[in-house]
Amino acid sequence: MKKIIQYIIILIAFSMPLSLCAQTDKAYDMNINDVKVIVQPSGNEIIVFQTIIKGGVQNYSADKAGIESLAMTGLTECGTTKDDKNSFKNKLDKISARVYGSTRMDFASFSLNCIKGDFEAAWPLYTDAMLSPRFDAKEFARIRQDAINIIRAGDSDSDNAVDKMARQTAFMGKDYAKEPQGTVETVTKLTPEETKKYWQSIFTRSKMVIVIVGDLDKADIESKVKDFLSKVPAGSPFKLKEESYSPPANSFSPKERENATNYIQGITGAPLPGTQDYNAFVLAMRIFSTRHFIEVRSKNGLSYAPGSWFSQGKTPYANFFVTTTQPDKYIAVARNLIDKVKTEGFTAEELKNEKTGYLTGLYYRQETNEERAAALATNEVVHNNWKRAIEIKDEINKVTLQDANNAFKKYITNITWVYQGDPKKVDSKLYTQKETPPIPADKKAF
Amino acid sequence: MEICTFYTSFKNQKTFFMIKKWLFLLVVSSGLIAAAQPKLPQNYYWEKLDNGLEVVVIENHKVPLATIEIAVKNGAYTEGPEYSGLSHLFEHMFFKANKDYPDQEKFIKRTKELGAIWNGTTGDERVNYFFTFDKDSLDAGLKFMNAAIRFPIYREEDMQKERPVVDGEFQRGESDPGFQLWIDVNKRCWGDLFTRKNAIGDHNIINTATPEKMMIIKDKYYFPNNSILVIGGDVNHDDAFQLAKNIYGDWKSSGFDPHEKYPIPEFKPLEKPDYNVKVSSIAETPYMMMQWMGPDYRHDSAATIAADVFSAVLGLNSSKWQQALVDKGLATYAGVSYQTCKYVGPVQTFIVPNPQKLKECYEEAMKQIKMWGDDDYITDDQLQTAKDNLRRNKIRNEEKPSDLPHNLTFWWCSTSLNYSTNYDDNMQKITRADIQRYVKTYVVDKPFVAGLIINDAMNKQYKPSEYFTAKSF
Repeated sequence: MKKIIQYIIILIAFSMPLSLCAQTDKAYDMNINDVKVIVQPSGNEIIVFQTIIKGGVQNYSADKAGIESLAMTGLTECGTTKDDKNSFKNKLDKISARVYGSTRMDFASFSLNCIKGDFEAAWPLYTDAMLSPRFDAKEFARIRQDAINIIRAGDSDSDNAVDKMARQTAFMGKDYAKEPQGTVETVTKLTPEETKKYWQSIFTRSKMVIVIVGDLDKADIESKVKDFLSKVPAGSPFKLKEESYSPPANSFSPKERENATNYIQGITGAPLPGTQDYNAFVLAMRIFSTRHFIEVRSKNGLSYAPGSWFSQGKTPYANFFVTTTQPDKYIAVARNLIDKVKTEGFTAEELKNEKTGYLTGLYYRQETNEERAAALATNEVVHNNWKRAIEIKDEINKVTLQDANNAFKKYITNITWVYQGDPKKVDSKLYTQKETPPIPADKKAF
Repeated sequence: MEICTFYTSFKNQKTFFMIKKWLFLLVVSSGLIAAAQPKLPQNYYWEKLDNGLEVVVIENHKVPLATIEIAVKNGAYTEGPEYSGLSHLFEHMFFKANKDYPDQEKFIKRTKELGAIWNGTTGDERVNYFFTFDKDSLDAGLKFMNAAIRFPIYREEDMQKERPVVDGEFQRGESDPGFQLWIDVNKRCWGDLFTRKNAIGDHNIINTATPEKMMIIKDKYYFPNNSILVIGGDVNHDDAFQLAKNIYGDWKSSGFDPHEKYPIPEFKPLEKPDYNVKVSSIAETPYMMMQWMGPDYRHDSAATIAADVFSAVLGLNSSKWQQALVDKGLATYAGVSYQTCKYVGPVQTFIVPNPQKLKECYEEAMKQIKMWGDDDYITDDQLQTAKDNLRRNKIRNEEKPSDLPHNLTFWWCSTSLNYSTNYDDNMQKITRADIQRYVKTYVVDKPFVAGLIINDAMNKQYKPSEYFTAKSF
């Protein structure tokens, strides 16, 4: 059930690094018409081709949030000059080729996933969608209404709703407060004309990276991509901005919502891409996530879903998350844990084990071509270095215990907390006060 | 519905396996009993230990990882009201304490030493546990799994901590309108036997569960002759079988078939259409669901495959279903699905209507459903396209080696290994007549349960209770 909703709400590409597969040829890049084209042979029958448009939320103003998402949807849902919507989609159905757009904070991607034998049939449809979208008014009205329904469906999802509120609260007035899906208010006002114009403004070689994961002949790639790019405008030079986040004090923003339990999320700062602390912080947050799980779930039985993770991007940030019937006890446990880690640090054994687990994760995430393409694209956009996706194993191994401890201490400071549920059930002071609250005694169930 | 021990995205359990060739020869070493060889795809190897434990090794050398999984024929279908949700709690307790790792902190520490990615799920007809780690940790990983599956420790204090965790998973579901609708529809669909289709269970049963109840579940179902071990990834099948035998060979058989000794009651057919409108403040946009009692593997395995093909046809943009609902702007999403089960699989439509056209959307959906059995509802071309797409999707579903054990155990629990291996051939043989027979036997003009979830404001504005009723059908 839930997966159906998730499927129609949003398609989120996985963004973790990967390491080089033992069984496939080496990845390489080419410059074609001033666009970097990254190719990773895969050793399987699946072709993943992604056209990445850099910029994400930096490409539009807050009052136009949702325009990039709607433009990407329009590429496949509003016809092309050669095919109306039904003709286009029926042709894709014939070969089960998946052509879809997705929009994120730092970039959008327009993807093709097909079986190798179908690539010749899929390629013209994929490129037509980008080069000559029709943005038919009738179809546009339909997808705009669908986009509104999808936003509402997303808001119905409690995990999604609290995550959105956390970002909008933490980054208020900044780019990362914008919702790539937009809001009901912003999307309602969008017209096919301005959406088409918007697409034309971002569909430039200066904002573009191409990622291919699949076994295609290099000369064939060069020939097809060169022809495709010859029809794409050069555009103006573009560089994504980086922004750090550091809340000046703890804060707590409650919102009443008829959830069956309390949803809480906290956001705080993290190191910028390319800084020395970055990889250390990756490991530190992973180790902390295990500690958080053990304290919150195993030892105190406070939650099914405690989480903490590092959101990597041009505005990087750290997250703490929980659903619990005891929000006051949770914050005491979490804050005491943070204090303990800051005072005592992690152990050498934890770091060693985390590096082992990280390696498993690297291989695990290179099992599909989509995951590999996402890692290459994210590293190229966020770190300006797709090779990091492959070389990360060695870089992670260089992190010392002191590096991990220092990174955690440096960035985990004040936290912007948001809450959804019944605000009467939570004592906001425990979240905002400077002193760490004591952990209340256990209540006996029997 | 399937639920996970640890918070993660759900995975699609219905995947399709490529048939490559028969496997005529398997190495049979001492300690293994002669048994009918199931048909399996290339690089799949099967053996059965003396104690009845089936072991499948899937060799796939794409990445240097191994995945191990044990699945048990347990889950919601084994639960009467007094045990509702306890297969799931039991699954959680697997990760809690055992003779080698006496508390969860030590258990997790061991997973970290192994660098493992791990989880467990409980569904209607399967409970499974799985670990993925470096291929060189296979021996250690199998021993780790062995301690947890065979020698769990159930302490009152551990259960006291785990009960709110499991209940918290339930509350998270209840905070989702899609889940609320699912619960409402399924309660009315399965009636007195709802617990047999509701893995998440009952709050009160979860919160009063005892170690004794855990032992009762263990002594009923957790035996090698009711389980399958799958070892997949960058492994050698001879070595893997030998390790399996060494580690699991002395796991004692129950000496009985749990499903003969504790039979699953048959579901009573629905008698009439049953409608409900549920008002929920968190339903920002309405969802609509209709559910029928469909075929099952035991009585009509051919229809289970026809059901999948029909669902695939209705997913095509050119289908009358998609054209009438999505293309015309009446719905944002209109999906039709069938869940393969050993004990009555549900056929379901799930629709995200355009709220302003709620009535039209509902009426059009019902009009289409009435036509599902018509000769011309689907075309030969659509049927062939759907089959071709299922074949292509099979390639995609086989892409991730660590998912292959999950896919296989799903079929083992709800159908058979032969069913899964023959699936593709049989799916290609499905005709329009097969689909018509399926639709007319289980769906068209058959009783069903319908549910709509909507928030108060939209309920007042669009008044679904005036038309979303059994009278309208």
